[in-house]
Amino acid sequence: MTSAAIFLTLVLLAFIAFVTVRQRSLASVSGDTSKLHSLPRHYGYYAAVCALIPGLLIFFVWVITGKNIIEGLVISGLPDGLSAQYQEQASLVLNRIRLAVENPASSEKHPDILAAAQQFHALYVRGIWATFVLAVASGVGGLVFANYKTNPDFRARNSFERVLTILLILSSVIAIITTVGIVASLLFESLRFFQQVSVVDFVFGLHWSPQTALRADQVASAGAFGAVPLFTGTLLISLLAMMVAGPIGLMSAVYLTQYASARTRKIAKPVLEVLAGVPTVVYGFFAALTVAPFFRDLGEAIGVEIASESALAAGFVMGIMIIPFVSSLSDDAITAVPKSLKDGSLALGATRSETITNVILPAALPGIVGAFLLAISRAVGETMIVVMAAGMQPNLTANPFEAVTTVTVQIVALLTGDQEFDSAKTLSAFALGLALFLSTMVLNVFALRIVRKYREVYD
Amino acid sequence: MLDMSTKVDPMTEIRTPKMAAKDVNVFYGDNHAVKGISLDLYRDEVTALIGPSGCGKSTFLRCLNRMNDTVATCRVEGNITLDGDDIYDPKIDVVQLRARVGMVFQKPNPFPKSIYDNIAYGPRIHGLARERADLDEIVATSLEKAGLWNEVKDRLDSPGTALSGGQQQRLCIARAIAVNPEVILMDEPCSALDPIATAKVEALIDELKGRYAIIIVTHSMQQAARISQKTAFFHMGDLVEHGDTTQIFTAPKEERTRDYITGRFG
Repeated sequence: MTSAAIFLTLVLLAFIAFVTVRQRSLASVSGDTSKLHSLPRHYGYYAAVCALIPGLLIFFVWVITGKNIIEGLVISGLPDGLSAQYQEQASLVLNRIRLAVENPASSEKHPDILAAAQQFHALYVRGIWATFVLAVASGVGGLVFANYKTNPDFRARNSFERVLTILLILSSVIAIITTVGIVASLLFESLRFFQQVSVVDFVFGLHWSPQTALRADQVASAGAFGAVPLFTGTLLISLLAMMVAGPIGLMSAVYLTQYASARTRKIAKPVLEVLAGVPTVVYGFFAALTVAPFFRDLGEAIGVEIASESALAAGFVMGIMIIPFVSSLSDDAITAVPKSLKDGSLALGATRSETITNVILPAALPGIVGAFLLAISRAVGETMIVVMAAGMQPNLTANPFEAVTTVTVQIVALLTGDQEFDSAKTLSAFALGLALFLSTMVLNVFALRIVRKYREVYD
Repeated sequence: MLDMSTKVDPMTEIRTPKMAAKDVNVFYGDNHAVKGISLDLYRDEVTALIGPSGCGKSTFLRCLNRMNDTVATCRVEGNITLDGDDIYDPKIDVVQLRARVGMVFQKPNPFPKSIYDNIAYGPRIHGLARERADLDEIVATSLEKAGLWNEVKDRLDSPGTALSGGQQQRLCIARAIAVNPEVILMDEPCSALDPIATAKVEALIDELKGRYAIIIVTHSMQQAARISQKTAFFHMGDLVEHGDTTQIFTAPKEERTRDYITGRFG
């Protein structure tokens, strides 16, 4: 008996419930559907739901909690010697038991562990059968219940509608809970970090060097966790990106909305939006292998020293990446400006470009600002391009020709490879994540408020 | 080229049309919207274009300042002149043409700017004012001519969109006047207004009569009768009948005109 078998049985049961109850509803009015409150299939849907949902709930409870409960039982039943060992190295003992369960032919020799493994297996088999019986029983119960309720006056359609509503609410609740969970995990780990490093040092410190001693006897730097160089790096690259994406995106939006023929627009707009579909890692090697050397050579030619990993290359490519954000959101904002305003300006003898700069862009300005802010928050969160093109050195500089690093890149660097989750070095990643999350959230809220405010004007 | 300083001999002015359309056809793609219309428009008169919806009167009006150029599928054939010059001549400057032939739209469309900037928009574009004082003067006189000065003189900095619908429409008329046009086209200027605001706009049109050639499209036959000297009746893209307003409304020659003005269709 496996979990999949339980699930399939439940689905089969739901199907049977659908067919039988549908038939029963038809039989109850001897085939004259006009006497039924709902269509026969609604009775069927209702029965299927009744048969499926309780069984599924039981099934999920088993899937989520089953193993933990059994492990608890097994551990509490361990003989004294192992139990004492368990106090010290819980996961080790548990792992040995697990291994023995999954691989009976393993080299495990300890008789107590083997006994525990056998007990675990027995309990597991018993548990899954219990789940099966309970789930099927509740499914049959649901079927019987639906069968009993089926009569021509029963409002199956409305009841099924209610079930759907609950399903939809559940989906959105899951999304919200996940967000809350992410924020909470960030928050708790950050709090642990701030127990070791003061908030003031983190927020105002000018030096970032997270290497700390792993053991007490090691000789290493004490570590410095000043996040300022990371945030200035992020800011510098985002600024460079906006200097590229802002003008290009806005002007292409103006061209597409005001000058391009319908045919050009139909082709050019999707092509431009393909830019948004290019994976960022592809942009990353475009930046590292093409753009960065190009800038370096260009710098050599005109006598400026540009590092082969530079903020300039990363910012430039990131700018290309966010052009579609700027252009398609600005496009929406410009298209939302009523045609009557444009006509009014043209009728006064203004040229097309005068109309655009004096009437259309000012009217679309709030939307354009919103577009820019959303693009910036996208740039701030971008990682891959910077990892590949801007380097890893936390430089506190405003010079775009040097290598810099950003918040996201440092988070990646801190959390790749084997890590222990109680050192300040690892925990600092969560603090950085939290700071980044807060700043992009503020940006997003700000941008959405502006966009919404402007929508009200022309609706 | 059109010459801004064209002088018309006062003795012959009445008989020389300000604008003349000869055999004008307009197509939207395959749709033949205006069919061979010839119509003279005079400097000192208000000409009303009437007819049921979709009869081509607005389309014809929009040919007179080439606003139809903004519609990609629109094609105009025939000959339209302003003071004898063909306005569809490829050498013509459309921007100059629109400065001489102003337009007021169906729905008031003030720019989302201050009242002052709304009026100053045209003069600024065309460089009509050398100094701030000149611009102030133009704004004031335009608002006065539009009968709006007393209502807004204390709040020229407040947004034009904050005015009432009727005030907005008079603001748009003032905006058109500010660039010193010779002809003003009005496309159902009162259809979005209540009766009181309508009465004010009609009074204003009466005021402006004589200084500008005014061509107004209207759905209200009473309005046409009240404010116009000449009336042209359009139906299905044809110009059915045109002539003195009193004659059209009291003794129409065509049966279709009679049916329309007595309310039998449309």
